[in-house]
Parts: sequence; C-alpha cells; structure tokens
Amino acid sequence: MQFVVFVALLVLALVVAIGLFYLLRSSLNGLLRHTVAEPSGITFYERSFLLVLVLLSFSAALGISFDLKPDAHFMEYVWKWAGGLASVLQSAGGVLLAYLVMITVLVAALKIKNDQ
Amino acid sequence: MTNERFLIESYFVIAALSLILGWTAYVYLWRPFDDFLSSRATKNLRAILRRLFPFGMILPALLGFLSVSYWSCNQDTYEKIVRDRQYLIQKNQEQVSAALFSIAMATLFWDVVLIVVQKYGHPKAEK
Repeated sequence: MQFVVFVALLVLALVVAIGLFYLLRSSLNGLLRHTVAEPSGITFYERSFLLVLVLLSFSAALGISFDLKPDAHFMEYVWKWAGGLASVLQSAGGVLLAYLVMITVLVAALKIKNDQ
Repeated sequence: MTNERFLIESYFVIAALSLILGWTAYVYLWRPFDDFLSSRATKNLRAILRRLFPFGMILPALLGFLSVSYWSCNQDTYEKIVRDRQYLIQKNQEQVSAALFSIAMATLFWDVVLIVVQKYGHPKAEK
C-alpha cells in the first residue's frame, strides 16, 4: 500500500509539472519571442522552465518519508499522500514565483522591442 | 540481503543515479545553450562558459547527493544506522530529492547567466 501511495504521488508530481508547463508555455513563448528573440535562447528558457518544474516537483515528492506501520489505516495513507501533494504544489508555486522574478528581470534588462 | 550490504550498494547506486540525472539535464540543455552562446557571446566568453556548463550541471547533482548525512540524533552510531532498513530507504529518497533540487537550482543559475550574456556578452551586438 505504501508503494502504491508513493507511485501515485510521483505520478501526480509529474502531472502537475507538465500541466503547468503546457498551461504557461504559449504565453512564455510569446514573451520570450518579444524579449530574447534568439530561437536558441527561447528554446533554452522553455526547456529550463520544464526541467526546473519537473525536478522540483519530484524533489518535493521524494522528500516525503513513508514510515507508516503495516497496520496503518486507510486515512493515514490519504493524509500522507495529501502532505506530499502539498509539498509538490508548494514547490511548483516556488518555481512560478522564481520564474516571475526572472522574467521581470529579463524584460527590464533587455527591454521589450516595441519600447525602442 | 543484509542491511549493511543494502547500505553499501544503494549508496553507490544513488550516487551514480545523481550523476546520470545531472548529465541528462546537461544534455537536454546543451544544444540551445551552445547555439545561444554562438550568436550572443564573444569567442573567449563562449569558450569559458562551454567548459563550465557541464560542470555547472553535473557537480551540483553530486553535491546534492553528498549533502545528505546518515548521522542524526537518533542514529548516532553505525550500528543504529544499519539496524533499520526503512531508515536507509528514507535516506536514499532524501539523497535523490537533494540531487534533483540542486540540479534545479543550477538550471536557474544558468538561466541568469544567459540573461547577463544576452545583455553584456557581446558589446557589438548592441549596435
């Protein structure tokens, strides 16, 4: 049962990371075309965004210790899984915050083309 | 398999996995990173960053793995550490988690480096 909960948490971490990436991908791509311009730079930032999302989501999921006893009740597994989910969502939020700051710096430092 | 054997084997397997994860992240980002430098950085800067990039992705993975210690308040002797298989598994999880976190931080660092390179890496490109 612990293994099932662990795998379910890892799957969810992956779904959250990929879901967020595809949700924001087109907007991020548009902004990067506007500021970076260089196709390789756009690719790099998109790939790094996906990589950081996936890595931190997995890191958060793996950081949860599954130390339940064999006779643990069903709800104890649910709470453990929910704790893992909270950790994954917290990490995803942290990534979005970090990228928000970075994109703000990117726009300010490089200046949007239309302003020139 | 005894707990001690599990400790030894899992330690080196996780160490190898951490290096592989760092290498995979490096390979995934290498091509756009190199193309970007080719168009936006001077020759010397490009040479330096190309050499630093693999170390800057793989070493953090190893550092993350190494940052996890088996010693704790309750496990302060080797015998106590190897007594509990669940504790060893938990430590392995922590090692992978720390390696993943370190690779993510390294990726963010290189994002910032590219912003700086775009802004200041090739003065002639500004004209």
